[in-house]
Amino acid sequence: MASSYKDEDGHISVKKPENTAFKQQRLPAWQPVLTAGTVLPAFFIIGLIFIPIGIGLYVTSNNIKEFEIDYTGLDPSSPCFNCSQNFSWNSTKPCTCSIPFYLEQPYESNVFMYYGLSNFYQNHRRYVKSRDDSQLNGNEESLRKPSKECEPYARHDNRPIAPCGAIANSMFNDTLELFYSDPNGTKTQIPLTATGIAWWTDKHVKFRNPGGNNDNLTAAFQGTTKPINWRRPAYELDSDPENNGFINEDFIVWMRTAALPTFRKLYRIIQRRNTMVPTLPRGNYTLEVVYNYPVRSFDGRKRMIFSTISWMGGKNPFLGIAYITVGSVCFLLGVILLFIHHKYDNRNNNPDISSN
Amino acid sequence: MRKRPTLPTLNAKEDMESGFTWEVRANSRHYQKQKQKKSFLCFRWGRYSDNVVRSHKYSPLTFLPLTLFEQFQRAANLYFLLMMVLQCIPAISSIPWYITIIPLLTVLTVRGLKDLVTDMARRRSDSEINSRPCDVLISQSFSAKQWKDLCVGDVLRIHKDQVIPADVLLLCSSEPHSLCYVETADIDGETNLKYRQALNTTHDELTSQPSEEALRAFDGVVLCEEPNNRLYNFRGQLHWRGETFILDNEHVLLRGTVLRNTTFAYGLTIYAGADTKILRNCGKLRVKRTQLERVFNKVVIGIVLSVLLIALFLAIGCGVFSSQVIRQREVLSAVAVFGTPAYTGFLIYWGYIILLSPAMPIALYITFEVIHTIHSKFIGWDLEMYWQQADAPAQARNTSLSEELGQVGYLLSDKTGTLTQNRLLFRQCCIAGEIYGDASVIAEEVKPMDLSWNPFSCGGLYMSAPSLLERLRGQQCPISRQFFTALALCHTVMAQWKEDSPVYQATSPDEEALVGAARELGWVFLSRTRDFIVVSELGVSHQYQLLALVDFTSKRRCMSVLVREPDGGIKLYCKGADTVILERLQKDCPNQERTERALELFAEACLRTLCVAVRSVPEALWEQWSKTLTQAAAMATSERDIVLEKLYDEMERELLLLGVTAIEDRLQEGVPETIALLKQAGIKVWVLTGDKKETAVNIGYSCRLLDPETRLLDWQELRQILQSPDPQVSFAKAGCTELWAENKTISRAKTSVVLTGSELAEFDQRPEWGSSFMSLAEQCQSVLCCRVTPSQKAEIVTLVRKYTSSITMSIGDGANDVNMIKTAHVGVGLAGVEGGQAVQNADFAVSQFRFLQRLLLVHGRWSYSRISLFLCYFLFKTCGFALVHIWFAFFNGFSTQSLYETWFIALYTVLYSASPIMCIAIFEQDVSAESSLKSPELFKCGLKPKLSIHVKLVLHLLYAVYMSLVLFFIPFGVFYNTAYDFQTMAVTVSMAATFTVTIEILMLTKYWTKFNIAAVIVSVIMFFICTRITHSSRLFEKSPVDYYFIGASDNAFANPVVWLTAFLTTWTAFLPSFTVHALNVILSVHDKHKVHSSSSQPVELRSRFRRGTSLRRSSYAISQGAGPGRLINSATSIRRKELSQDQKVTTSNTITDIKL
Repeated sequence: MASSYKDEDGHISVKKPENTAFKQQRLPAWQPVLTAGTVLPAFFIIGLIFIPIGIGLYVTSNNIKEFEIDYTGLDPSSPCFNCSQNFSWNSTKPCTCSIPFYLEQPYESNVFMYYGLSNFYQNHRRYVKSRDDSQLNGNEESLRKPSKECEPYARHDNRPIAPCGAIANSMFNDTLELFYSDPNGTKTQIPLTATGIAWWTDKHVKFRNPGGNNDNLTAAFQGTTKPINWRRPAYELDSDPENNGFINEDFIVWMRTAALPTFRKLYRIIQRRNTMVPTLPRGNYTLEVVYNYPVRSFDGRKRMIFSTISWMGGKNPFLGIAYITVGSVCFLLGVILLFIHHKYDNRNNNPDISSN
Repeated sequence: MRKRPTLPTLNAKEDMESGFTWEVRANSRHYQKQKQKKSFLCFRWGRYSDNVVRSHKYSPLTFLPLTLFEQFQRAANLYFLLMMVLQCIPAISSIPWYITIIPLLTVLTVRGLKDLVTDMARRRSDSEINSRPCDVLISQSFSAKQWKDLCVGDVLRIHKDQVIPADVLLLCSSEPHSLCYVETADIDGETNLKYRQALNTTHDELTSQPSEEALRAFDGVVLCEEPNNRLYNFRGQLHWRGETFILDNEHVLLRGTVLRNTTFAYGLTIYAGADTKILRNCGKLRVKRTQLERVFNKVVIGIVLSVLLIALFLAIGCGVFSSQVIRQREVLSAVAVFGTPAYTGFLIYWGYIILLSPAMPIALYITFEVIHTIHSKFIGWDLEMYWQQADAPAQARNTSLSEELGQVGYLLSDKTGTLTQNRLLFRQCCIAGEIYGDASVIAEEVKPMDLSWNPFSCGGLYMSAPSLLERLRGQQCPISRQFFTALALCHTVMAQWKEDSPVYQATSPDEEALVGAARELGWVFLSRTRDFIVVSELGVSHQYQLLALVDFTSKRRCMSVLVREPDGGIKLYCKGADTVILERLQKDCPNQERTERALELFAEACLRTLCVAVRSVPEALWEQWSKTLTQAAAMATSERDIVLEKLYDEMERELLLLGVTAIEDRLQEGVPETIALLKQAGIKVWVLTGDKKETAVNIGYSCRLLDPETRLLDWQELRQILQSPDPQVSFAKAGCTELWAENKTISRAKTSVVLTGSELAEFDQRPEWGSSFMSLAEQCQSVLCCRVTPSQKAEIVTLVRKYTSSITMSIGDGANDVNMIKTAHVGVGLAGVEGGQAVQNADFAVSQFRFLQRLLLVHGRWSYSRISLFLCYFLFKTCGFALVHIWFAFFNGFSTQSLYETWFIALYTVLYSASPIMCIAIFEQDVSAESSLKSPELFKCGLKPKLSIHVKLVLHLLYAVYMSLVLFFIPFGVFYNTAYDFQTMAVTVSMAATFTVTIEILMLTKYWTKFNIAAVIVSVIMFFICTRITHSSRLFEKSPVDYYFIGASDNAFANPVVWLTAFLTTWTAFLPSFTVHALNVILSVHDKHKVHSSSSQPVELRSRFRRGTSLRRSSYAISQGAGPGRLINSATSIRRKELSQDQKVTTSNTITDIKL
């Protein structure tokens, strides 16, 4: 508050407002005045930026090699037809099928191998919620008492399920193996790297095995039971202790739910061994599938995808096209506005000039 | 107790017939107390109110339930409460409960505290009023009590300068004839005194003995009308000692008036508390809500309804989905289906209501309130509206109406004290064709004359005319001497002696100014008795015998005194309106032409003029005239009036014109400039006054409300138009009524309507005239309403509100304006001289009328544009962000899955997008204050915007829908069938949403202060910081369930596709808005340029206003109607009549010295 003082005329001014720029609303301000001269070029500039970006993206995306096999086996001629027909989660005998294919171009750099599912609502709210992050983080208490969110996949046979919940229960469990058929007929298995496919934060922070660094996972999971649909318990997912239990990368990748009902997930990486030889040379290959995962019931599709990657990740023509489209629209709008501006100006300038 | 006369019961039947059903028995507390109004909880009984004012709402016990009840009457609060309850139900909760409850509790607490504080203030002012002292007669003697102890039937003693606590029947007073004077400033705004007189009966009986005993014994019964709000009417009877006396308004002292010049007055309480006329006139306190808020509420309801509808569709979708699709999915069906699809759909319905509820967030209401408060603060902080003399800044008492100021279409103003200072100054005169003084010089700057020779001079004359003084003192000019003799004699002023100098008490401020001017110049009115007037002329005392006094009436428009001069001659001095006087002059009156020219000059300068004339009356004529007068006095009323009129007419003839006085009714500073500016801004200014028509019109001219060539339409003409078969059509065709056609051909806008209160009353009987009157008034320059009561003022406001869609604003300074201030959309109180009643009830308080220009054109305009920007943008950003879930629903099985992290939903409206729009709503200035005042036309945008706010809001909602589509489908295209997970997509969409609303605000902000820049930068940075924090591993380890987005942003921000997608989405979402902006710039580049370039020129508002050639001649005005001439005269005409009627008046009562 202003203090009490007397001004020159001897009036007492207790309530006189302070003469500050803020209170008098006279804050110094920058008042940019938009004119046709500043607005119209913006359209062209944005258009000129977007179109090259779009072209760049499109070209980059086109340079990425991608190969996709749908091995769902809906077609009776398909090798996996039998497996897809007689199938249930609990069948004990694994069904295998092998799909031969021919790769027309050699894949030079590292090749990423994905599995893709369609029509699978991994983003359904009830499904997404059906997990216990505490349990997955290695919390002992949650291991014994899974969260309610996991229901009805929290307990089985009166024992807590580890990992609990619908996501874990529905984990993708096909095994894909790749064989290269030499022109001379020998079949060599192509080594697939199963690690390095999950986010670092997931592998090292978000997912932790119970019992800390305890090597004996079996003991740590004592008293729990495997998810109903699983063939093996969590502690038998892999022989490598760094890739076993909750920190199994296949498991982690599955647990990172997809945004949309058609999605891919990274399955394996085919490392380039030799700079002289392409990672996947041109030729005949066989994809050996241990067909476990049922998709027929919901009209789903299963795919296997090879892809090289660039700086922008996998193949993505949409982004480039979208950039080109928006850039062109922008440019077009600029032209239309310029035209309007020109017409309006001609109509209005004459009286304006005479009035000045 | 004495046995009561049986009279009341006997007359009961008659009373019922006359409609007098209100019975008050004097000095019988027991009887009256029984009937007092009482209440317990919601039950009330009894008839007579006690004298306690209760304007507070809460008691400690009722505060919490009442305030909660009131707050939940707001649909929005109830809606948020529902949201909160829903979020607490686990089965349907799609976002955590704390997102709504914290803001809701804040809102409720802040509102509740605010209400509590205002109620405490009201309670304090109530108890201050209730504990005012008054003397009540209780068992034999008067004892000091408080106002609240008073009850109907009590006898009171009121001291000089005390406020009268209730409506009281005057029984007697300490003054002769039981006269008493009251000041009614708080009731009708007039500061001059009014007199009231007790019945002769009570006066005689109660003053003859020691008063307390007599009063104690007084056992009269008053029968009168039920309490009503008619201030100038009272009908009743007093039954006492077996006789019945008629009571009227002159016998009643109203609550709120102040007793003046009377040592004591004794009265009987008739109406107390809520029954009193002034409180009946107060009108109901209504909660004011702005038009914009109403529109906005409609839109909000629209949004809520559409959310409910969309949720319903999505729920149906879910039902279908779960019955068709989920069943086949083993995993999903296990988790997602509870019972039947219908039940699932039902749960999903509520889930979607919650998920979509951020479209209409509670933060909006908090922010809205904060912005209103800051706008109000700005009004209080404005130095340009601070009045140094009174140390009074402007004040926004109602903090939620600021944007309404920018849309005011009708300004209804009080006159006295608002437009004028209620100070009348003698500025010029014309004597014998010679003009003295110069009104073009501002009063304060007039060089004072040397009046030291005059012992009675005490200042107050703002006229410089040394030549006049010379003539007067040099005894050269008999006409000028006679002129001032006339001024000193012809009036109804009373002189009261205080320390050797007379103090004048006038019922009309004009007369006071005239007599005062005469005093300054040496003609000092010293005292008055019934028969004599003593005047000191340049130091020599003369005694004039007062033969007759013919008072002002509004019909006669002149007044005369007939005196016998000390030398024996009889003279008639007359003053009055020029039209009246000029036609009564003798033939070939000298100087007439020059005087008429002077009249024109005075009229141009908007001075009030009176002509002064004299006539020498032959002795014979006087004798004959007085004889006829005596005869006439004995006649019956109706006949007598005609005869009297004729008699007066006979006497006021053959006048010799002495000169003209010119009085300035001082306007408040800057009034004409302000009114001119407001008119340019398209605001209709109406004047509502309790004053007389002539005065109002005169002020209308002088404050530039009426142009000299304005045609004044009076009631007769207006009625013709209104009665024409189809006024609407006839205006449109401009030919139906001859009168109107004529007007129209001249100039439609140059017409003004002048009405008086009694004429307005006809509207009550003809409600169908209302709309046609308003359509006529809309085409008029202005409307002046004179002689209107406070409740009529409010009725006019209601009329305007009813028949136009415009915002009305009332401005006034007195208690008589309270009703209209409360009724209008916006009420402004002038914190001036007349009490604080108006300010107490007003929404805004300013000290000077001229501050209105800044209040309306600057603050109002800014506030309106800021708040409309704010509302549009706020809805856009919240809807655009929340509606994304609709599109996402189609790809996640209608499962209420959120596309965002819950923390983003919580922080988006609070942190990431709130501060830039707050800055706009606080700092935005499309045009500077100077330019706003310079080009008042800009204000019209608020009155008739190109796009109404409805359309604007709807367009922004459509834009929001577009934004949500883009926000979802571009990332959808990018992420479809890729290895990107849900969390990456969530981060991308959140980023795009934040960028879009930020870039939109960049476009909207036209006035970049450092705060705007900081706000924009901080919100974007906050998005990144908070996202990183909520996605950090530390928080995840604390609570894995709440912070499960760990690492999502680290990975997303490192990914170029995420950035490219976000940029593309942002630009695509922004493109339509940018195009519209560009189109606006291209199409309006020239108008804008004009406004900006003109802002450099200085504003010249102080130029003194001069009127051009005037078509009107007379500016005659005097502020009052019939003065107390009747009293002074009572010895002559009227008293005789009373004598004949009321024989009980003791003829011995010759003390007619009513010197006060």
